[in-house]
Amino acid sequence: MTTVAATHSAGPSGRRRRTSTSGLRRRLAPYVFVLPFVAIFLAFSVYPLFYTARLSFTNWHGTGAAEWVGWDNYTYLLTSPAFWSSLGNSAVLWLLIIPVQLVLGVLVAVLLGSAKLKLRGLYRVAFIVPFVTPLVAVAQIWVVLFDQHYGAVNALLGLVGLPDVGWLTTSAWAKPTLALLFLWKTTGFIVIILLSGLQSINGQIYEAAEIDGASKARQLWSITVPLLRRTVMFAVVLQTLAVFQMFAEPFVVTQGGPYNSTTTAGYYLYNHITRADLGTGAANSFLLVILVMVLSLMFVRMLRAKD
Amino acid sequence: MKRHLLRRRAVLASAGLAAAAPALAACGPDISSDEEGGGSADALQAPTADSPKGEITIWDRSGDLFEVFEGVIDDFNAVYPDIKVNHVAVDIDAKLQNTLITGTDVPDGVFLDDAKIGGYTDYLWNLGEVLKPYLGDIAQQKIDVNTVDGAIYGVPYDLNPGLLFYNATALEAAGVDATAIATYDDLLEAARQYKAAVPDAGPIHLEQSAFLGQLQLEMYASQLGTSIADADGELRLDSPEYLRILQFLDTVQSEGLGTRAEYLTPTDVAEMDNGNQVFYPWAIWFSFAPQQMLTETSGDWRAMELPAWDAGGPRSGAMGGSSFVLPKDGKNADLAWLFYEFLMYDEVGYTAVWGPSDTYPTGLNTSIPAYEPAADPSAPLFEPVEALGGQDLWAVATEAGAQIPGGTPTPAWWDGAVDYLGNDLQRMLDGDMTPEEVIDSSTEQIQTNLVDRQ
Repeated sequence: MTTVAATHSAGPSGRRRRTSTSGLRRRLAPYVFVLPFVAIFLAFSVYPLFYTARLSFTNWHGTGAAEWVGWDNYTYLLTSPAFWSSLGNSAVLWLLIIPVQLVLGVLVAVLLGSAKLKLRGLYRVAFIVPFVTPLVAVAQIWVVLFDQHYGAVNALLGLVGLPDVGWLTTSAWAKPTLALLFLWKTTGFIVIILLSGLQSINGQIYEAAEIDGASKARQLWSITVPLLRRTVMFAVVLQTLAVFQMFAEPFVVTQGGPYNSTTTAGYYLYNHITRADLGTGAANSFLLVILVMVLSLMFVRMLRAKD
Repeated sequence: MKRHLLRRRAVLASAGLAAAAPALAACGPDISSDEEGGGSADALQAPTADSPKGEITIWDRSGDLFEVFEGVIDDFNAVYPDIKVNHVAVDIDAKLQNTLITGTDVPDGVFLDDAKIGGYTDYLWNLGEVLKPYLGDIAQQKIDVNTVDGAIYGVPYDLNPGLLFYNATALEAAGVDATAIATYDDLLEAARQYKAAVPDAGPIHLEQSAFLGQLQLEMYASQLGTSIADADGELRLDSPEYLRILQFLDTVQSEGLGTRAEYLTPTDVAEMDNGNQVFYPWAIWFSFAPQQMLTETSGDWRAMELPAWDAGGPRSGAMGGSSFVLPKDGKNADLAWLFYEFLMYDEVGYTAVWGPSDTYPTGLNTSIPAYEPAADPSAPLFEPVEALGGQDLWAVATEAGAQIPGGTPTPAWWDGAVDYLGNDLQRMLDGDMTPEEVIDSSTEQIQTNLVDRQ
């Protein structure tokens, strides 16, 4: 009896302990699960961000103690023609790349999405090949193709009586040539993104439009384009980030020249870092972060406004 | 309600992060109110043990030079059997700065461009003591580029004398005697003669890369005993020497005597191979071109000392070069010194570097030693070069190298000057600026953007 009573008396309290332990576990579990991410996020995102912020107020060349210079690096950059020129170069590249890439991307995605197209798989692979090809190899081909005097492109122009163009050696043509490389390299990736957006459009909408007598062009303009808007905006945000951070293309093909005409925002930042002007580099990267954030928010707002 | 709660949590989380991050960021570099630092003069001492022991990590660039140095390790170990050399191929430009700043896995010795040494001096041993027995025998130009505030931070590796490479066959066919060229005025005259015989020619190379154009400009300046800045970092671009060089290049451009091309790009190679470009004033490492890239005219080219600016003046200037540095945080920098001492100042070592090897069967003929006893014109380390018609390039280069004036240090911001001086030089070659404008514009911009921001 005593045993039974003891058992009975221990029962509810043990259950309470168990309940409270399992409750604590339940409450802690989510935090334990997110802990690895938070730790990594703190170490590799938050810490560098604050470290960079602090660095941006110093004059530090990688050796010795950093000198606190207040807003000097920001003032220097914001009054530096070279900084604005690098942003201008990126903006021009954006204009040369994004509209063309979107129009091309949508058209190619629609073509590749068509059930009537034979060898679709082959074409899809063909479009993605440039994206997975190492940039350095492609860039070397670009240098040879666009050589002013002995490149294949000028040889072709020569066949129709056109003069040689200094594709990589004149300020006027270097940016379009670089934009062409970027377009060729990344359009396949955009096509894949748009293709996935296309496949999410309900086929019945097209069937209904066809019954209503809408032509293919009308369907493209009135159904495909509006319903792809979110995907297109996503692609625009992605490519805006890529264009403003573009580094490898000018690094390998033009080294930012001629006359800094292809020194993009990303390449200009790199120059500060490699020249051990780390304080200015940090300030530059902060200004870039702000710019890219503003642009991204702007695009997201545009997307929301229509929703 | 839920949304409100979520927002509150987000605000709390952000506040937590904001509070934690400055504490984290405090781990950054020390900040002083005034500029501190400057070159530390910690002097490395050589090991005193009879048979030094230990392991050293040596960083070299990947590629053929890595293979050459790799081949010397056995010879080194024959002398120092208890020193294990961990030889690593590394992208030094990408890794060294971070490694030195963090102090993690710092190598004992590193191969480094001369132009970059000035930027790392706080992290490097002053080698003045260990180099003392050799200083009198090392090319002065190499000592100057390795010296900051009186301390020497690199073991000089190679000397890169500027030479005048010329297409002897094409010039002879045009009736131009290149061997008679002694001054830059003679070179201009020879170019005019060649142009008269071959109207499509642009006989003299005009570099179109802003970086290499500036490097070549510094070669001409080195020949005149000057460089972009003095040992105190003061700009000296606004000088009669630079004006003279720029006027020479401007004359080549304005008279149509030059070929504008980037070094060894398809245009450059083609213009050499078709006989339009026949004079190439460049460092000894141009010898790579006739050996590897000029398919039509390989064998037609020769090298001679650069013309002098004034009759009887120095016939060469330095263009590029590298040295070995020893980081203070390396565990066995003193043993690494023994490695470099063997490599550069022991006959077995330098013979293994520049002499015939598995990598270079006829020897390494794109540079010469900075150590004068090793650079004896009468005791060649590499063999005559077939692609230069069997010419004894060793004799030409070592005699030229011996004439390179000293007093030409390289400032830490040299690379950054390319955005100003390098670009302005190209604008001048485009006909958009005068030599005077190049000097005025570059001086002002370099002073504002580089010198004043150090």
